[in-house]
Amino acid sequence: MSRPAPATVRWMLLAVLLVLWEVVPMTGLLPELFLPACSKTLSVLYGDRHIYGAALLVTLYEVACSMLIACGLGILAGALVGGTALLRDLLLPVFSSLYAVPIVILYPIFTAWFGVGSSSKIAFAGIYGFFPVMLSTAAGIRTIDPQFLLAARSMGATLSQQITRVIIPASVPTVFAGLRLGGALTIIGVVVSEMLTASAGIGYLVTLNRTILDSPRVFAGILAILVLSIAYYMLARALESRMVVWQSAGRQQQSSAGVSTAAVPAPAAA
Amino acid sequence: MQHLANVTELKARLEAPAIEVEGLSHVYAGPDGGVKALLDIRLAVGKGRFVVIVGPSGCGKTSLLMMLAGLLQPSQGTISCLGRPMPKPDPQRVGVIFQEASLFPWLTTLDNIEFPLSLRGMPREERRRRSAAMLGLVGLEGFGERYPHELSGGMKQRVSIARGLVQDPPLLLMDEPFAALDEQTRMTMGHELLRIWSTTEKTVVFITHSLTEAVYLADEVLVMSARPGRIIDHIQVTLPRPRSYEMMATEVFGQLRERIWQQIRRAP
Repeated sequence: MSRPAPATVRWMLLAVLLVLWEVVPMTGLLPELFLPACSKTLSVLYGDRHIYGAALLVTLYEVACSMLIACGLGILAGALVGGTALLRDLLLPVFSSLYAVPIVILYPIFTAWFGVGSSSKIAFAGIYGFFPVMLSTAAGIRTIDPQFLLAARSMGATLSQQITRVIIPASVPTVFAGLRLGGALTIIGVVVSEMLTASAGIGYLVTLNRTILDSPRVFAGILAILVLSIAYYMLARALESRMVVWQSAGRQQQSSAGVSTAAVPAPAAA
Repeated sequence: MQHLANVTELKARLEAPAIEVEGLSHVYAGPDGGVKALLDIRLAVGKGRFVVIVGPSGCGKTSLLMMLAGLLQPSQGTISCLGRPMPKPDPQRVGVIFQEASLFPWLTTLDNIEFPLSLRGMPREERRRRSAAMLGLVGLEGFGERYPHELSGGMKQRVSIARGLVQDPPLLLMDEPFAALDEQTRMTMGHELLRIWSTTEKTVVFITHSLTEAVYLADEVLVMSARPGRIIDHIQVTLPRPRSYEMMATEVFGQLRERIWQQIRRAP
């Protein structure tokens, strides 16, 4: 008997999980408060689709804005810090250690400054996602093989040509790994801040329904975020593999497994 | 071609050596007066010659090559390549081939070969024509659209040589280009290089650790001492050309190899 492909096994596992989600609550092994059935959760989600749709739009808007901040500022700061020796020596240790701080502790300050609306979520999640983007951009620039630059110089490349033709393309894979992680962190940042203090968004709905012990609606919110995160991840991977064709062999396994999970500490807020 | 305007100048250039180095010394800045890398180097390389530099690790061979390429400025002394100094790299005069093939992994083989041309803003069609010709010269037809990670070590070095030749510089500097290759590939590549060299009439300065490679390739071998590097021997390799693998078994080959080895071993 030949072994089935890993993808097939993954889909089968998902199917089994969904079936269990449906069957286990029906048998009465777990009360609905602990685990509402899959069908119940979906029907609640469908019945409240306007509420959840509106909340998802708020969350998406906040995620999009904070990703823009995290990626834009992150790449800019990372390029500056990675590219100039002075800033690198001065700031990189600071940024690296700041990364370990559970930034969520600062969220109350953000609400004081920006109010309970979207701005405080955007600011918080933006900063939350900023660090991995900035650090990997700096690392991407710092770890460029000096041989590449030497070769480019020997071929007559000017400084601006060295930047555009060597430094930028060479750091794309590392920067992308940081963007993927930073983007995921902004989603976490937005949801967490919505759960803490908010008046809208999926995170807010989850907290609201938890306090009134409405489990199906809590699960509906969780499901929405789950789908959002997976969709984001798949989009990011697709974009990445299109941008970094040359990396498809050998190094990809390292970058996808290593940078996204192992090399970076678990998000402090989660 | 553009030199034809002035015939006397052309004649003078033909007679002048391709490379002239006078009283060159180099000190790398650092504590305690820094590290003396090179000491009073003097050399002249005739046009069309294949010169190999050997010497112990850290003797400053690579520094010397970087200076000839205009990538590093000496603390003292003068360098002239084809009658002019090298204040900065000039890829149309001097091509450099490094130990690591240092191909850009995000570019295909053809794009890598064309890279120096595209820096100059040469139109794409002209670039393609030239890079395709170079691809043929190094025997890699059909691999133009591959990325470096899809090529073997020997193939990468072929691409690197093609990239060094694409601007048709009269001078080619090679820094241990085959050091990372296995013995068989290395010998084949050396042979290939001689074939390419014989069709292009370039002046080559080639650095290596391998004494066999040195004797096999060279018209002249320069032996350098340990740091601070000085030139301690200058050996004419009288073996006829084209070279063949059988020559390695000859007595002359063995004697030349032995002489270089003695020099390196004796060097303080």
